[in-house]
Amino acid sequence: MRQTLFTLFVDRFMGRGAAAVTVPPLDGALKPNNDLEDLFNGIAAKAPDCIVDWQGVPIWSEGARLVSQSGVQTEFGSDITAIATSDCMIAVATLNEGLLLLDDHLAQITPNWSVPVKNVTALTFTAQNELWYCTGSETRAPDNWRRDFLEMNQLGHVGHANLATGHVRVIKSKLGYPAGLAPMPNGSIIFSEAWSSHLVEISPDGRTSRVVLDEIPGYPGRISPAQDSGYWLSIFAPRNPLIEFVLREPAYRKAMMREVAPEFWVAPNYFSGRLFNEPMQGGALKQMGILKPWAPTLSYGMVVRLDANCHPVRSFHSRAGGTRHGVTSTVEADGKLWMACRGGNEILSVDLGAEGIPA
Amino acid sequence: MSLANRFKKARYRWFPDHIVGEVLSKNWIDNAIPFTIMVMVVTVIGMLLPNFFSGSNISIMSRQYGELALVVLAMTTVILVGGIDLSVGSNFALGNFMMLYFLNLAEYSVGVSTVLVVLICGSVGLVNGLLVGYLRLRAFLTTLVTLIIVRAIVDLLLLRYAQDMSMSFYSSPLWDMMGLGGVWIFPFSFVVLAVVALVAHIAFSRSGPGWRLLAVGGSRRSAFNMGLPVRQLVCSAYVISGMLVGMGGVLYASRLSGAGTDTGLGLEVVALTAAILGGNSLGGGRGSVAKALMGTVTVLVLTNGVLRLGLNSGSGPMVLGLALIFAVFVDVRWMKNRHKLLNKVYVSPTLMEMPEPRSTDKGPFEVNDRLADVSVIAMGEVESPEDVILDEDDNLYSGNRHGDIIRFFPPDYQTHEVYAHIGGAPLGMTFDKMGNLLVCVGGMGLYMVAKEDRKVSLVTDETNRSLLSVVDDSRLRLADDLDIAPDGKVYFSEATVRYEMHDWPVDALESSGNGRIICYDPATKRTRTILKNLTFPNGVCTAHDGKSILFAESWACRINQFWLEGPKKGKLEVLVDRLPGYPDNINRASDGTYWVAIMGMRSPALDVALRMPDFRRRMARRIAADQWLFPNLNVGCVARFDQKGVFIESLWDRNAANHPMITSMREHKGWLYLGGITNNRIGRVRLKGRDDTWSGWSSYWGRKSGEQV
Repeated sequence: MRQTLFTLFVDRFMGRGAAAVTVPPLDGALKPNNDLEDLFNGIAAKAPDCIVDWQGVPIWSEGARLVSQSGVQTEFGSDITAIATSDCMIAVATLNEGLLLLDDHLAQITPNWSVPVKNVTALTFTAQNELWYCTGSETRAPDNWRRDFLEMNQLGHVGHANLATGHVRVIKSKLGYPAGLAPMPNGSIIFSEAWSSHLVEISPDGRTSRVVLDEIPGYPGRISPAQDSGYWLSIFAPRNPLIEFVLREPAYRKAMMREVAPEFWVAPNYFSGRLFNEPMQGGALKQMGILKPWAPTLSYGMVVRLDANCHPVRSFHSRAGGTRHGVTSTVEADGKLWMACRGGNEILSVDLGAEGIPA
Repeated sequence: MSLANRFKKARYRWFPDHIVGEVLSKNWIDNAIPFTIMVMVVTVIGMLLPNFFSGSNISIMSRQYGELALVVLAMTTVILVGGIDLSVGSNFALGNFMMLYFLNLAEYSVGVSTVLVVLICGSVGLVNGLLVGYLRLRAFLTTLVTLIIVRAIVDLLLLRYAQDMSMSFYSSPLWDMMGLGGVWIFPFSFVVLAVVALVAHIAFSRSGPGWRLLAVGGSRRSAFNMGLPVRQLVCSAYVISGMLVGMGGVLYASRLSGAGTDTGLGLEVVALTAAILGGNSLGGGRGSVAKALMGTVTVLVLTNGVLRLGLNSGSGPMVLGLALIFAVFVDVRWMKNRHKLLNKVYVSPTLMEMPEPRSTDKGPFEVNDRLADVSVIAMGEVESPEDVILDEDDNLYSGNRHGDIIRFFPPDYQTHEVYAHIGGAPLGMTFDKMGNLLVCVGGMGLYMVAKEDRKVSLVTDETNRSLLSVVDDSRLRLADDLDIAPDGKVYFSEATVRYEMHDWPVDALESSGNGRIICYDPATKRTRTILKNLTFPNGVCTAHDGKSILFAESWACRINQFWLEGPKKGKLEVLVDRLPGYPDNINRASDGTYWVAIMGMRSPALDVALRMPDFRRRMARRIAADQWLFPNLNVGCVARFDQKGVFIESLWDRNAANHPMITSMREHKGWLYLGGITNNRIGRVRLKGRDDTWSGWSSYWGRKSGEQV
């Protein structure tokens, strides 16, 4: 039906149509399973955030430290928020020091950026060795993403940094928390817009963009290219009808942000159920000792394999009540898929050949 | 507190918006639409014709109303039983003619003529009834045929006798009163109608025969399977219809004293319109006398009004037809959507300001894991043991959600048996002085299981009805916990009057004072409500000295004390407030203190939402029930406090491994037994440093050592 001012008003009054509080279902390739939860024990890590492939082995960030399987490689002054690697360089973004560039001996070779780059959520090198970055929100740092979510900000942007000259150019702004970035084979860049729950393909000059995957039943995070073609998408938090409803209630949101501690907000999170002061939803009541797997939850673990056209073909889930929630980043290295599970404090890996997944 | 805040609080305190939902849930709300239509029609016609409601016009119309309404009642009776009677028009003409014939030509008295006419018209109805009820012919076609045949008979009779009748004239005081007079200001036909309508209303709504007629109309096959004499009932409906039409014909004859060929022509259509406009369902089984009467008013005012307006001759039926389509449309939408509207509108949250909770980081409520090494009883074998109790022989009793009382045998409680089956959902339990077990059964009331023979008997399942409550609060929906005072009176809580056992969590969303404390006196066998407007009263416990009862108000997170004796007798005081969670059952401890089960913990996000009833109301309407923000009943604890309300200690199952929601605990001989309504096990934990010989029953009824109870 045509969207006029009157129908908009009626819809808002009745709570239907455009104002309906509905969430896309987990269906098709996204049908829930226990694959993530059932994986064997991973490497214990303290809130690992971003994992990348550096010279054939995975390295990841734990707070301000860059860690690999053989131990801590280096430490920075503040928490790492994004990493990207090319053959001979690592780009690291931190909370306070902005965007840093390291050579293959982990020495700093950061050029002088023309504009300070901060609040970076994802980085990627393209085939031509250009560095692309995305800033989640200009006002809220990545460790404050839940506040940015509740404020419903659209203050993120995607940009391009020239490594030789240090020139930083904003390609597309006013985005709802872009949280993942990957190069496409045709030269475009695909990025995820978390608060809008969709993936967007943008041309290198920023003139054309189109939504390639819409109505994701979660908030998409980092994207990493898969070996053959296609991508791995980490969805770091689920969409929930109660949260959709709270986003439509400005008075309640403001009062909650003002009076309640952030760990007890009605907002998506990397983990849930640890403290009894967290909000609980009716369907999460334990009956006969069981928390049903389809119970409403503020956190979830989901990793999705997309094909070259960005259609989901397979997914790994950790359902309500599970421990492996909040997967923020994935990378293919060494014949395996490595996943940084921030809510579960683990680095998980799964053998791609054995699983029969198209690598 | 700002002015806006104060205003908001006052609005939620004084404006009873829960009434909307409660009124919508009543059965008589189905009359709302026809009533509105009637009022609309009367208003519109009254505005268009200023003299429409003058005294003389009303007098004339009320006379017409009496006759028309009787015919409509006849039609309604047949419709309610699932049929239709198209012959009412011709039957009416027959009755009118026969009345005038008996009076003028056969010269019987008025009384005899009336009886004869009613019998004759009733026999026409009997013909219909035999064909439709016993021979199972289709009602529409059969009554259509009867319409034609009876009309033909009337025409033949008129042909033969019309001239003779026009030359005669009958007059008598009774006849004149019937036609022109009445009782006080009411015309005679109106009075007759009132009596008939009253009898019919009582018959249909409150008597066996009336219910049987409605049952046949509702579902003929089911009524047959139930054993009702379906054919007989259908036939009797047609007979009643005929007799009512005959009565209408008599009144018409008294008013007009003329028999023409067009008497009653088209009356069946008008009667059908009136019945359907009033909201009676054409399919049968749903309808009432009130609906028929309201439909008749609408039709009468419409037809008379259109006539007076001087519109063209076809406009009357046209207006009637349009009104009928509109009324049917609205009524069908209402019947389909009423329950949806009710579901959305019933939940009426109120403003609740929660005080700062006591700390769970330090002090008596500091989170610990003292319930980690609980020993589990009947894992997976008992479902929903809300309350647990032990008798003097150390047998353990609990309820389950299948309505049984289960008894577990000491010393290890690994074997059990069904002690008694009550039904419903057994909740709080206590032993009286004789050892009989009294149980609050959710959905049923207060029951007793006798000690000698395990016989289950009802103690009470209703209390006094409050005058101003729309909800029928004489019923006990959710009797929760009970305790017995030293004088034998039983005090028990009813958690909420607005919700049933299966949807009690919705009351948490409302958090309004829907509950009460009720007292049953076994000496006089009377049940009275003693405290009202409580927020989910839950656990009840008689104080150690027997002078007061303590009870919990769950959503308000406090424990109150109601004095039974002493200088504060009859007073209600808050003993404990600012609890960090929702208190459930309260029971005595062995050293003069009390145990309370905290079934869930408060969460700050919900506390903010409790201050915003609009937010909760929209949440209840916009998202599904299992997505609502809810009290966290997945983690709880058990706490102990003294008679001054000072807390001493608490025991937690921090990871909710065995006891997510603890609804009850019972101390017995040095052990603490735990029950939970959402759980499938009972737990017990050894208490150190307690009296190993103490039991609940002896604390209440056993010998007291000196002053200390």
